Amino acid sequence: MGSAASAAAPPPPPPVQPHGAAPPYGVGLAGILPPKPDGDEKKEEKVDYLNLPCPVAYEEIQREALMSLKPELFEGLRFDFTKMLSQKFALSHSVLMGSLEVPSQSADVIKVPTAQYEFGANFIDLPQLMLIGRLMTDGRLNARVKCDLTENLALKVNAQLTSEPHYSQGMFNFDYKGTDYRAQFQIGNNAFYGANYIQSVTPNLSMGTEIFWLGQQRKSGIGFNSRYNTDKMVGTLQVASTGIVALSYVQKVSEKVSLATDFMYNHMSRDVTSSVGYDYILRQCRLRGKIDSNGVVAAYLEERLNMGVNFLLSAEIDHAKKNYKFGFGMTVGE
Amino acid sequence: MASAAADAAQSSAASAARLAREWSTWAMKKSEKMVISFARIKPRKKKKKAKVVAHYGFIPLVVLVGMRSEPRPSLAQLLSPV
Repeated sequence: MGSAASAAAPPPPPPVQPHGAAPPYGVGLAGILPPKPDGDEKKEEKVDYLNLPCPVAYEEIQREALMSLKPELFEGLRFDFTKMLSQKFALSHSVLMGSLEVPSQSADVIKVPTAQYEFGANFIDLPQLMLIGRLMTDGRLNARVKCDLTENLALKVNAQLTSEPHYSQGMFNFDYKGTDYRAQFQIGNNAFYGANYIQSVTPNLSMGTEIFWLGQQRKSGIGFNSRYNTDKMVGTLQVASTGIVALSYVQKVSEKVSLATDFMYNHMSRDVTSSVGYDYILRQCRLRGKIDSNGVVAAYLEERLNMGVNFLLSAEIDHAKKNYKFGFGMTVGE
Repeated sequence: MASAAADAAQSSAASAARLAREWSTWAMKKSEKMVISFARIKPRKKKKKAKVVAHYGFIPLVVLVGMRSEPRPSLAQLLSPV
């Protein structure tokens, strides 16, 4: 004989009710069988705290805001040509003729006219391996490697190598992805060590923390960040012991339009910057514009002229510093 | 006669074993020397050599990996501008 506890017969299904119609029962039954509410399909889903989604990586919590508010503004002529040799392998040639800003101590803006050619090779075989290399005419190599060592552990290497001594930089990142958390350990040149951890707290909220140590300058720091996102909006907050507080908010107004704003406060230099921008993603073009609290207005347009041919226009106007940057360019290839 | 043949076989086997042992110890000594010489280089110079190797070798490595992946592109496709 089977045990009484197992395989109890399932309860009989509730009686089927005509949708919304008044029950044609007698008075006696109306009290016992109330009509089903009409049309309300949404139920309050109980949050399963043991089954939360995996959060966005720690360094990418602000990616929507960065994509909308910080396009790659340039000055001069830019031409990019990408040649796909196969699905995974591509070569790219990129020419930039214009002025590059040189950081200067004084308030003046110093621009140096330069012309550079950059050769790039990409091998992208997601999810196992990704190799991206860019080599410029002055000998600088920009290398990025992303490799999945196991299903949850990934290694990322990011390096800028130059011919001049002591100017090269490199960073090794080991990422571990758990069910609802991510952990990362970083090793960089000049004895830089960092670690960060981010955890999903609710289906919409994730919070994380990071700590780093700079060997050469004997400095260490700790930071916290959190990200709240729904289908329509993303809000992030970052606080670091280096004295930086950064907030950002992106609202997706419709399929084609998003508005973004960000705010940054630097306690050490008492510097506050805030910007508001928009991002229109239309069928043939993508237009991004923003205005800053420093009075800087910028816009960036990418227009699709043909299959694989994009036309770029970039503008940045800073009346206070008398810095006007206008650029145009073309991108050929996927 | 059988014992002589057996003796010959034994001696040849012994000599083969001896040769094998000599070669393997020679190979081990050589690789040990290489490892020790690399380890004996000062760490700064090692980092410099590694950096130079990475600087010159990364793009050729990416091109090599790309040319060997499926579907294999041809050399003409690599060098032509179209």
